[in-house]
Amino acid sequence: MPTAPLPQFTSSVKLKYVKLGYQYLVNNFVTLLLLPVMAAVSLELVHRGPGEMVKLWESLHVDLIHVLCYLFAVVFASTVYFMSRPRPVYLVDYACFKPPATCRVPFSTFMEHARLIYPNEKSVRFQMRILERSGLGEETCLPPANHYLPPKPTMEASRAEAQLVIFSAIDDLVQKTGLKPKDIDILIVNCSLFSPTPSLSAMIINKYKLRSNIRSFNLSGMGCSAGLISIDLARDLLQAHPSSKALVISTEIITPNFYPGNERAMLLPNCLFRMGAAAILLSNRRRDARRAKYRLVHVLRTHKGAEDRAYRCVYEEEDSEGYSGINLSKDLMSIAGDALKSNITTLGPLVLPMSEQLLFFLTLVGRKLINPKWKPYIPDFKQAFEHFCIHAGGRAVIDELQKNLDLSAQHVEASRMTLHRFGNTSSSSLWYELNYIESKGRMRRGDRVWQIAFGSGFKCNSAVWKCMRTVKTPVDGPWSDCIHRYPVHIPEVVKL
Amino acid sequence: MTAGRERRVTLCAKTTAVSAIPVRPGKTHPLSALDHAMARHFLRLVFYFRAAPTLTKSRLMNSLSEVLSYYPAVTGRLHREPVEDAAGGGSEWRWVVKCNDAGLRLVEARAHTTLDEWLASATDGEEMDLAHSEPMGHDTSIWSPYCVQLTEFDDGAVAIGLSSAHINADLTSAILIVRAWSDAHRRACIVFPPFLHAPALDPRPNPNPNSALFSSKSAAAAASTEPAATTKMSSATFVFSDASVKSLLSDAGDASPFDALAALFWTRIAAPELGAADLTLGIDMRKRMHAPLPYAFYGNAFHFYRVRGVDLGAGLSRVAAEIRRVGEGVREEDFWEAVEWLHERRPGRREAEPAFQVYGPELTCVEVDRDAFAYGTPFEDNDGCRPAHVTCRVDGTEGAGLVLVMPAAAEGAARQVVVTLPDDVVAKVCRDAAIAKYEPTVLFAPAGVKKG
Repeated sequence: MPTAPLPQFTSSVKLKYVKLGYQYLVNNFVTLLLLPVMAAVSLELVHRGPGEMVKLWESLHVDLIHVLCYLFAVVFASTVYFMSRPRPVYLVDYACFKPPATCRVPFSTFMEHARLIYPNEKSVRFQMRILERSGLGEETCLPPANHYLPPKPTMEASRAEAQLVIFSAIDDLVQKTGLKPKDIDILIVNCSLFSPTPSLSAMIINKYKLRSNIRSFNLSGMGCSAGLISIDLARDLLQAHPSSKALVISTEIITPNFYPGNERAMLLPNCLFRMGAAAILLSNRRRDARRAKYRLVHVLRTHKGAEDRAYRCVYEEEDSEGYSGINLSKDLMSIAGDALKSNITTLGPLVLPMSEQLLFFLTLVGRKLINPKWKPYIPDFKQAFEHFCIHAGGRAVIDELQKNLDLSAQHVEASRMTLHRFGNTSSSSLWYELNYIESKGRMRRGDRVWQIAFGSGFKCNSAVWKCMRTVKTPVDGPWSDCIHRYPVHIPEVVKL
Repeated sequence: MTAGRERRVTLCAKTTAVSAIPVRPGKTHPLSALDHAMARHFLRLVFYFRAAPTLTKSRLMNSLSEVLSYYPAVTGRLHREPVEDAAGGGSEWRWVVKCNDAGLRLVEARAHTTLDEWLASATDGEEMDLAHSEPMGHDTSIWSPYCVQLTEFDDGAVAIGLSSAHINADLTSAILIVRAWSDAHRRACIVFPPFLHAPALDPRPNPNPNSALFSSKSAAAAASTEPAATTKMSSATFVFSDASVKSLLSDAGDASPFDALAALFWTRIAAPELGAADLTLGIDMRKRMHAPLPYAFYGNAFHFYRVRGVDLGAGLSRVAAEIRRVGEGVREEDFWEAVEWLHERRPGRREAEPAFQVYGPELTCVEVDRDAFAYGTPFEDNDGCRPAHVTCRVDGTEGAGLVLVMPAAAEGAARQVVVTLPDDVVAKVCRDAAIAKYEPTVLFAPAGVKKG
């Protein structure tokens, strides 16, 4: 059936209205079915008259015992229902770290340092080509230790960066929400590449004097998708512990990861990774529902590590000269595409409206039974979500996802602009993107947000949030002083 | 002062300071003919500040980033831009600063001594350890013309060293950069924001190129085929208090402090030969023009002229009067003629001549910072944090040497004189009785010279 003439039909306006009509019909099927039933019942009631109704009631011979039993059954059933529902997880508020302007890395400074540090001309030219096509802007920031000639990645400098980014984010969050440090019941920190002893969570507990019976977790080595893994862990803990608050810190400390060698695949992180951190306050208390911004609807995690190709895709190893760096393989994009397909296959049935699921099911049945040559139907996720936060891992990732999910430029604007202004801040980039959407005044009550993150392993994690109150601009955050300049046009290649 | 003494200043780290606000892409700052002529010289300034609570490295770097947002030409890189000439040859070029937002080099250092001990005992060589500079290599696109050094002393005092290629800016511009930095550090309004307008010193529509001084310098440079006998140069600083200068003025008759000090040092440097002699003088032309340039005009705007045939044996007041007479007779016309002469012969043109020294090789005396900006740079809110001392030096002044006269820390007529002369002449001047009569404090003299 879908032969050459069909594409002409799909572009016609009439078909668009047919599609809209179909969507309304299928999505509101139950309501539409109920309407004639209700109409019939009320017509019958009016027809019969009130006297008839009273006689009908008396003929049932209902007495007090029956009423009490029925009431007891209803109360019992509703109690069981409410107790077995999962506790809602509310995102009360979050704060992102705004890097100081002294840490700014303009392209010319980056290239100058590269030429002064790397004796190999090829490495320098490679980094220049990456930077030209990276989609980064002139205001991204590296930690102070990476500005030195040569960079000084000492443990003390790494700790200093951790303290700077994490404590700034937490201080902002405390100011926004009025959170008292003694009220934090659960603390989860994720930082993939820097894992000192005592852990970063211990560092936070020490600085803010948190309670001694706090449940703290430090997730390291889990890559750029660790932010959503922390949210998942927080959600599970909040199910187990009633009336609790959880503080989740997502960050990536890049001081220790400067790669001074010449292996090209390992030079990429130098060019793209930048400083950033986010602090998120989650709660399962009912009274926080009134002031919370979002409610967590779903978290879905997909791990493709069972395949060797995916496992070795992002691999930390030593190069021939003994320098340790992160090797990014060339088929990163195709592996990311596969992981995404797995993830949305599981996510689809949970979030897509009935109309899309029906079409997908029919196409699937048709492919199996009628004609295997039918094109598989890719569900339109734009109907399930108003906003998309795609991990700003690089320009290629955002382009690939935009193509796969058939998203418009405005849907991926948050991701592209975050990449331009802040660079690839790893696990915290999703929160900078969410803040961009809020700062632009696009976040309304009832909007659904889809956060997608990719990470080493290879993992693809998604989180779905529902907005609980319209966020009013101006929003206090890392975008507050520059949001009026965005969106900017990002050229394909910046001439360096 | 024993030879082989340990270095008291250790460099800890080198980084690059960038501006807080990105520069609009594609901006350039062309250099004038006068700038091109200064290619052989480098400026070194050191500002000493006593310990203060806000004078920490991190806060200084923050305020430096803020002030660099006003100076896109400081954070740029030198670039040889090809010039379309009338003949269509296509081989001409000129220096241009590409404002590519690359930042300036910042060096962090520690001095293992206290400020007072340093001021009492440091030699001229040691003082230049506080103003690190890097030589221009082959590739100017990765060479920062400016270099700032932040040195911490044991007692918390801070020395800010600024070294710059003279091709970018003269002493007034360099001092006003630090002045703007101090304003930004105090979160005050920048009183002298930079005036970046290179075409201000373009030749006039009817040029009249003529400069006897530069012609003779250029001829001398071309004539000396063998490398100049590198006489070892040293430096010393003489600080004259208000009373000393007033007593000098009473001896020198009706003259300004600059004229009197220039005369004094000229006669004592030339002694015992006291016949007819010439002196080259340099003054800042910013406010001596019919359409005066702002103080913060960024670039070179000094004019050099000669005083000829003065009889040094005629007495201090006669020499001072002669210097004053010639100084008052300097016309704006002379300055423009010199600029036009330089414009015709700037490097990069086919008619270019080899670069010559502007400060030297004959004895040169320059009046610096006439309006006392250097000592008016407080980094703290109360005026108590003015610099304890400011040093200005110019590199590349081989030959007979250079005498810089500038205001001193004390208010009023106090002056300090920084001399860069051959070793033996410095020794002679430091021990000279006629100078010692005015009781100057001698700082940063070479090792082995007994402080007068």
